[in-house]
Amino acid sequence: MSASGSIGGTARREPHAPESTIGRKADYLHAESTLRSWFLATDHKRIAILYLTSITGFFVIGALAAGIVRLALVVPNGAIMTNDTYNKAFTIHGVVMVWFFLIPSIPATFGNFLIPLMIGAKDLAFPKLNLTSWYVFMAGALFTLVSVVLGGVDTGWTFYAPLSTAFSNTWVLPALIGVTIVGFSSILTGLNFVVTIHTMRAPGMTWFKLPIFVWTHYATSLIFLLATPVITTALILLIMERGFHIGVFDPAYGGDPVLFQHLFWFYSHPAVYIMVLPGMGVISEIVPAFAQKKLFGYRFVAYASIGLASVTFFVWGHHMFVNGQSDLASLVFSALSFAVAVPSAVKVYNWTATIHKGSLRLDTPMLYAMGYIGLFVLGGLTGLYLATLSINQHIHATYFVVAHFHYIMVGGTVLAFLGGLHFWWPKFTGRMYSEPWGRVSALLIFLGFNVTFFPQFILGYLGMPRRYATYPPEFQLLNVLSSAGATILAAGYLFPMLYLVYSLWFGRKAAANPWNAKGLEWETASPPPTHNFLTPPEVPRIPYDYPIQAQESRDQHG
Amino acid sequence: MTPSHDSLQLWPAAVSTVASETDLLILAFTVLTLLLTVPVFVAITYFALRYREGSEADRSPSGIRSNLIEISWMLIPFLLTLIFFVWGARMFIASKTAPPDAMVIEAVGRQWMWKFQHPTGQAEINDLHVPIGQPIRLRIISQDVIHALYLPAVRLQVAALPDRYTDLWFKADRTGTYHLYCSEYCGTDHSVMGGEITFMNPGDYQDWLTHAGAQQGRVAAGRTLYEAYGCAGCHEPGSAVKAPSLAGLYGSQVKLADGRTVTADDGWLREKILNPNGDRLADGYKQVMPSFAGRIPEDELGTLIDFLKAYPTSQAADATR
Amino acid sequence: MSEPLADGVGVARAGHFETVAQQRAAATLGIWAWLITELLLFSALFLVALITRIQHPEATVAAAQHLKFWIGATNTVVLIGSSLTMSMAIEFSRIGWQRAMVRTMLATAALGSLFLVLKGYEYYADWDEHMMPFLSGRPFALAETPAARLFVNLYYVATLLHALHLFTGIALLLGMTWMAARAGFLARHQNWIEVYGLYWHFIDLVWILAFPILYVVNR
Repeated sequence: MSASGSIGGTARREPHAPESTIGRKADYLHAESTLRSWFLATDHKRIAILYLTSITGFFVIGALAAGIVRLALVVPNGAIMTNDTYNKAFTIHGVVMVWFFLIPSIPATFGNFLIPLMIGAKDLAFPKLNLTSWYVFMAGALFTLVSVVLGGVDTGWTFYAPLSTAFSNTWVLPALIGVTIVGFSSILTGLNFVVTIHTMRAPGMTWFKLPIFVWTHYATSLIFLLATPVITTALILLIMERGFHIGVFDPAYGGDPVLFQHLFWFYSHPAVYIMVLPGMGVISEIVPAFAQKKLFGYRFVAYASIGLASVTFFVWGHHMFVNGQSDLASLVFSALSFAVAVPSAVKVYNWTATIHKGSLRLDTPMLYAMGYIGLFVLGGLTGLYLATLSINQHIHATYFVVAHFHYIMVGGTVLAFLGGLHFWWPKFTGRMYSEPWGRVSALLIFLGFNVTFFPQFILGYLGMPRRYATYPPEFQLLNVLSSAGATILAAGYLFPMLYLVYSLWFGRKAAANPWNAKGLEWETASPPPTHNFLTPPEVPRIPYDYPIQAQESRDQHG
Repeated sequence: MTPSHDSLQLWPAAVSTVASETDLLILAFTVLTLLLTVPVFVAITYFALRYREGSEADRSPSGIRSNLIEISWMLIPFLLTLIFFVWGARMFIASKTAPPDAMVIEAVGRQWMWKFQHPTGQAEINDLHVPIGQPIRLRIISQDVIHALYLPAVRLQVAALPDRYTDLWFKADRTGTYHLYCSEYCGTDHSVMGGEITFMNPGDYQDWLTHAGAQQGRVAAGRTLYEAYGCAGCHEPGSAVKAPSLAGLYGSQVKLADGRTVTADDGWLREKILNPNGDRLADGYKQVMPSFAGRIPEDELGTLIDFLKAYPTSQAADATR
Repeated sequence: MSEPLADGVGVARAGHFETVAQQRAAATLGIWAWLITELLLFSALFLVALITRIQHPEATVAAAQHLKFWIGATNTVVLIGSSLTMSMAIEFSRIGWQRAMVRTMLATAALGSLFLVLKGYEYYADWDEHMMPFLSGRPFALAETPAARLFVNLYYVATLLHALHLFTGIALLLGMTWMAARAGFLARHQNWIEVYGLYWHFIDLVWILAFPILYVVNR
């Protein structure tokens, strides 16, 4: 009781850090301003900004492709565009969003910027390698864009053989090469993070003092390292088969096209957790900060991150229940999928429990976080429908699947990304954005998202297959509703791009710790100086050292 | 024969007991999902109001051991969902073991059409007629890329693979006409690779086999081939590529680019489709048509030519005008 | 890294590290992480090779009989020899014998090149025996067992990928040797030799896995 009085007040919101450092030569943004200083930057913060700019560009490309898809589906008979145009649009949407936005989104930007700050290091372990990985990323992107400019790809982002190797007449090869190259960028980033988290922690920063954001990025990096090489192999085999007829999947001489699917999903299922885990990390930072309360079950969440990253390697077969794999394999994969899905979906209970008896402030990042919690739990549990064998036989490859993974990818990852972007924007740029506009956009995105994707659950249950350029007329009403939602969603995305950019020049200068949040990144100036800390940071006694501490009997020390 | 569908339906038609049980499973699962998620939504909303900054609320530690809570809220939903795993697995295994007396229909997928062959030999393209009240087993294979046969009315689908057979069996107990889809993305016309499945009384089915199945099917099948192989894309009046209209072509005199004139009979049409260019080019046209040698099997060539034979000449007058 | 280093041998600390020990630990962990990734890259290929063998045993054996076992075996010995010279180079770097180190590094590069030459000869023999089914102008020697193509194709992908690693390795090694020959190198970058040595051993290891999987078990 005694705690509530003082903590519920407003006095504690006063920033306790020194005045802003904008304009001083010391901060990383203003240390140098030549183009060369950006394109040859080895400062992890600058590389993060490079990534942020490039993935925003890819997000726009992917979103435009999605707009084309939703436009085509307003009418059932395909009158707006040819089937080929539609197929290319959804393929570009998938390829760009998965490989050029979602996978690098949170790790390569926030992870890059924040991990060294959060563990009290001056930089990542290998700064030049970090820059290299951005160039590798851009090289892969270039190949993919070449494929789009030349005429596009129509294989779907899954590149299933033999459609991709022998039958498609589109620019598959440059797209495949692009995606292969991007894989190396992921590997290098993951490697850098693993080494950094192992060797660069400040004195006193033990494993169980690390923020969950660092834990989830550690788990993500392990997936980068252990899963990405397998898809590289699969893609190399595809490239050799399509480009040089050195193939192993071609059924014409006894090859097994389903083998490609196994290799593909061995990576691409863990890749889901590459996209999900960093988002969980972001939410685990935002929620305690805006509740001013210690994260509920810190150790559980930390262990769960590693646990999820491990189990996710053993469930890939649940993408292939109806694709001709053995029945026994399907049973095992189904059971394992239940084992991984439930613990990840119930993580939302931890965040809910963190809010309980907190002292809540509903600023923009918190609105995104609350939206995330609601949408992610729906996305997770609808995944269990798909993991149930007999239900899967009906809704596999229908719009139910599309709705499910958009609840995870957009409702989860993208909302976490936007939440994190707003949360750390003052740290990245030293400026505050417009809070009213932020709140309006967050609500708009939440509304637009649900109007877009909830009807797709129903469409899938009714039996509308995905990747259909034309569809039976009885599905039109729900499709029009979905397209209308996409319009709202597009507006919701547009606002942050405008007011955030506006804030760069006209925003209020940010204090070092505008949210009164805990974590070493808030101990330094906004924006931070080139080597992060002017004086070595003092590692706190426990992580999430917020005024309100839940009583956790065996958890006192973290 | 067209499926009757409302503009908005929220419940798909089910024609088998397995389909109804799948619906029941989905419904039960939805109840569980609501049970697990609604409390979260309510709690978040309530906490957001109750514990907002500055509110007079009790923020004292509750004293509950977090490990206990953590384990219980992971374990209880997990055990609850396991019921559904077992239920779904049981149905899945049943769906994989066809009764030995099932009637076997061969299904072949190809870019972009389905071909079904009944045990009595009748074949149909994209549409499928089956009797109710007896188990039907579809033996499925693909001739090119991976497809998947999806029958929403029985809540089942399975991939059509190029290198091995897959199976799908069902026993319908209600008549009606429903959609039949390809559900594995297979290229340009993926979304039109499908038709209708008609569940019929056994008597009607026998009737269909002897009459419609044998006769009416041939020209319609030829029309489907004409579209499936992309002929229509260029030869249909009004298409972007200005290829000569094929309406009324059969039996007519054709002037060729090298000055000769030939009669478009069965043999010449066959040769022309297989090897269209060189000395078979029609007068006034460019060499753009690809060769179909090795791409269209012999029996389908016959069906295509039958369709050309029946292509109405009245339409020909319109097209050539 | 627990090996004691001679006087005048060591590592110059980069600015973002607190200590030299931290820097060395980071480099070692980094190369191990990279090698695990690389190992998985090849493992996926080898796994596909084993699956192919299980699915088409006769065709695989028929194709494997055309592999030049003795060239493969010789190459195995050549690479093991090169690992030995590389290990010697690492030892010399620790005790500060720069000239001996440079010579053993050159020997390593020479053995690696010998491997590539032998491998190239093997490809030539394959070509000569019509064992390149992807060349449209040369009919496949085993055309009557189409599945043999699968194994042959995998053999090319796996060995080409390995050769690419080896080629890159030789290029890096020569570049580093050039730098390492200069005065003062060992005082600043001794751990480059150690880190690079791990990569070289890894290339060796991949071949030691590939040789039995491709050449031996299918005989």
